[in-house]
Amino acid sequence: MTDTAFVESIIKILFVVVIVAAAYIISTRNLLSLVSVYALQSLTLVGIALCLYLIQGNPVLLAIAIITFGSKVLVIPYFIATIQEKIRIKRDLEFHYLNPTTTLLLSMALMLVVYIALSRIIPPASTATPGLFFFGAVIGISLMLMGMMVTFSRKRAITKVMGFLSMENGVLIFGMFVTELPFIIEFLIVIDLIILVLLTTILSVGIDSTLEEFHNRLHRFYLWEEKEELP
Amino acid sequence: MNADFVIYAVINTLLVIAVAPFIVSLIKKVKAWTQGRRGPSVFQTYATLLKLLRKEVIYSPSSSRIMRVAPYVNIGSVLVASLFVPLVFVPEPVGGIGNIILFLYLLALARFFMALAGLDAGSSFGGMGSSREMSISAVIEPTTIIVFAALAFVFKTLNIFSMFSITSASGTPVTPTLILLGISLFIILVVETSRIPVDNPETHLELTMIHEGMILEQSGKNLALMELSSGIKLTLLMALLINLVMPFGLVTTLTVAGILIAIALFAVKGIVLGGIIGLFESSTAKMRFFRLPSLFAMAFFFSALTIIIEVFA
Repeated sequence: MTDTAFVESIIKILFVVVIVAAAYIISTRNLLSLVSVYALQSLTLVGIALCLYLIQGNPVLLAIAIITFGSKVLVIPYFIATIQEKIRIKRDLEFHYLNPTTTLLLSMALMLVVYIALSRIIPPASTATPGLFFFGAVIGISLMLMGMMVTFSRKRAITKVMGFLSMENGVLIFGMFVTELPFIIEFLIVIDLIILVLLTTILSVGIDSTLEEFHNRLHRFYLWEEKEELP
Repeated sequence: MNADFVIYAVINTLLVIAVAPFIVSLIKKVKAWTQGRRGPSVFQTYATLLKLLRKEVIYSPSSSRIMRVAPYVNIGSVLVASLFVPLVFVPEPVGGIGNIILFLYLLALARFFMALAGLDAGSSFGGMGSSREMSISAVIEPTTIIVFAALAFVFKTLNIFSMFSITSASGTPVTPTLILLGISLFIILVVETSRIPVDNPETHLELTMIHEGMILEQSGKNLALMELSSGIKLTLLMALLINLVMPFGLVTTLTVAGILIAIALFAVKGIVLGGIIGLFESSTAKMRFFRLPSLFAMAFFFSALTIIIEVFA
């Protein structure tokens, strides 16, 4: 095996990157950078999975890394970026209930609560490298909760989806470090996500339209570029 | 007080005064490059300061004694604060020198007198600048305290000298906590020195100005002292960030060669960080005043996270 301590310190740094990205996703108002930050977060997860593979040598982790890279770094961000380009929303200025500052402070409190709760459930001395795995569990659940807060503090559907996606990243981290989800479930979750992103466009613009009508409806709502140029 | 410390005090103070104008104009140069201009020379600030030092001082008829002492209090407290942050050479700490809380409040003293001087001249711009500066500093204060508390927690000491000796002894430790602290310190640096997302250091006429509004009534050598002290403040906070996150080259024993190498390395790191600040400023727009707390909350979040990681993990 490679130098475990070194790989562990890299994983810890990657955790920090994940948290920084999550904080950015929570507080930004700029939708264009939101997608690239989400892609960065997912890329970090790929890095974490690869590092974990170096420690544990479990081929499932390699598969998770590949599938995450394909779906969450390439396909989903590309798709959302395309949608954004089409519907021309660049900023999300509206927030329900909580503004970004409060959300940040709340998510900090959440992390603390998660930590205290988990330290009672998982005895930190049970696994081989306890500190790291415990840390991973805390980060995973906190990321889930932070994603949840994004989902219910934003108004626009597309930002809600970003919250949901980063929530799923939390599940993935938790799964990698604590419970070892079966690979098939991981795979199904990813397929779900892609379908979710596809559905969002339909749901957010025309919940009662058919797919054939959908394009016309985009025109009617002035969401398509050519329509705006007409007098 | 031993001989090492006296030498340290002389070297550090001279170096800070010499480097501060360079860093100020370096950031201006980087910003000019990103905008496609050639920009002023990197030695322009020295020339400006020298020119101002030769000019006559004019006081507003309604100004009081505050206006006359404020620049000296300002430069005095900032220079004392500069003793607290070793740039290239870390001696044994003497007395209370190096205490991070005292460092913070020396900077606060300078800011207090600057705000008073802004109010003193009776101009409405100065009053607005002072009021804004004080509201911002009231909001940033808890964040700064938490960031410095996190620093103290990570290094298990309140003394900046001891922190620097720990980092320089352990080489280049890129740990998660240091990354988080680096981000928080960077935000503190931007806020404390009134740089772009918070204030625009280049305008004198916009209603957004904060720092420039306060020193609008200063002239001649008083203005030079004010400008120099804000440059020194920038240098000090940069040095704090540099020596905590990239400590290589910092010497703890007094040798001529070691100090020369350290100065050269510090110059390189300062240029890199100055470039980063310039690029950061060019890539963001000035924030609306009431949106600033979200920037502070970011720093608060990261440093509180640091404390959580340090306590529990």
